[in-house]
Amino acid sequence: MIEVDEDQLIRCPVCEAVNINKGKNNICRRCDSPIYQHRHFSTEKSWAYLITAMIAYIPANLYPMLVTSQFGQTEGSTILEGVVYLWAHGSYPVAMIIFFASIIIPVMKFSILIYLLISVKYPIGKDKKISKHKLYYMTEAVGPWSMIDVFVVAILAALIHLTAVSIVAGTAATAFAISVFFTLLAAHAFDERLIKENR
Amino acid sequence: MKLENEDALDNLIICGHCFTLHEETPIKDGSKACCVGCGAVLYRYDSKLIEYGLALSITGLIFFILANVFPLIQIDILGTSQYITIPKTIFALFESGFFLVGLLCACLIFIFPLMIFLINITLFILLKLHRGKNLTKHLLILLSHISPWNMVDIFLISIMVALVKLIGLAQIHMGIAFWALIVFVGIDIYIVKQIHISELWMLRKRLLLDKDTS
Repeated sequence: MIEVDEDQLIRCPVCEAVNINKGKNNICRRCDSPIYQHRHFSTEKSWAYLITAMIAYIPANLYPMLVTSQFGQTEGSTILEGVVYLWAHGSYPVAMIIFFASIIIPVMKFSILIYLLISVKYPIGKDKKISKHKLYYMTEAVGPWSMIDVFVVAILAALIHLTAVSIVAGTAATAFAISVFFTLLAAHAFDERLIKENR
Repeated sequence: MKLENEDALDNLIICGHCFTLHEETPIKDGSKACCVGCGAVLYRYDSKLIEYGLALSITGLIFFILANVFPLIQIDILGTSQYITIPKTIFALFESGFFLVGLLCACLIFIFPLMIFLINITLFILLKLHRGKNLTKHLLILLSHISPWNMVDIFLISIMVALVKLIGLAQIHMGIAFWALIVFVGIDIYIVKQIHISELWMLRKRLLLDKDTS
């Protein structure tokens, strides 16, 4: 017979089995994955990924995403220019999709993660109506969709490479892919249990 | 809270969305149990899970192969006609020097989806044959690590976005792979929605571990 406090039960992030929190080095009893419970370094990993992603997001917006060469003329367009171009040519739904996927979602993800990371360390937003778990799951669910722009560029570049007209991916594609990759890592590295402990 | 031993923890479930503690209760065949706090699905019970899972995974794999072999879209532009397949899209990135993006795309839309379906098929076969205690464990761990990185559904939307961008510039024809990819994404979403990883762990425990003790 063992006596456990309900607060001492933790969930394995890999296989979702319920485990007893035994202090520092928890190993899941079902899948043997370590369940980290750092006391002092709980958010640092997530911060590191997030800052990398934010740094990569700057060149992603400044450099051209798509380089079009048409009859000898080479022209690059950044993400925002691409959206404006589509909007001006009447493709409103596509312009909206790209705008949401490449600008709104990354920025929203950065701000939500920053808010969550600060709120688990310092007592802010404690009486908020919006559940932080909901916020976290929202970022996890919409996060991968920012990859749309990278895939679109890849498809266009593969499809259109004629002598007269050709499309090549720009520097921003790499920067943007890195940015999305690291935001995803940051969201995965964020320990959701911290939200509960601090509520 | 008092527990017999550590194994009794298997009867407890912590909701993945709001971290409420629940005790598992037997439910009817084909029904699901939801969280009291937030309404998220905790687990399902389906006596034919292995058969359904295996059938769906094999179908998915067939459509995945079709989607990769046949042309995805074909365009007629300035008198010439061009087509792409999924591997060609990835290789084009490598050829133009975008190794990082190419590698990322290769993983997200080719390697990981393929691995997920192969792992699923192996898992269901092993569970059906009641063997492979260690192998199923490693496969399940691998599966939960790579499944968040499967982005075929996003790739499908990207194809449509790219096509809308090309409307007016070129004549567009959808290839066989495009329709195969739609079916594949449908199956993929259905499997992710219906077969939760913790149910596979429960199945593994019931089929492989309890056999040893009895």
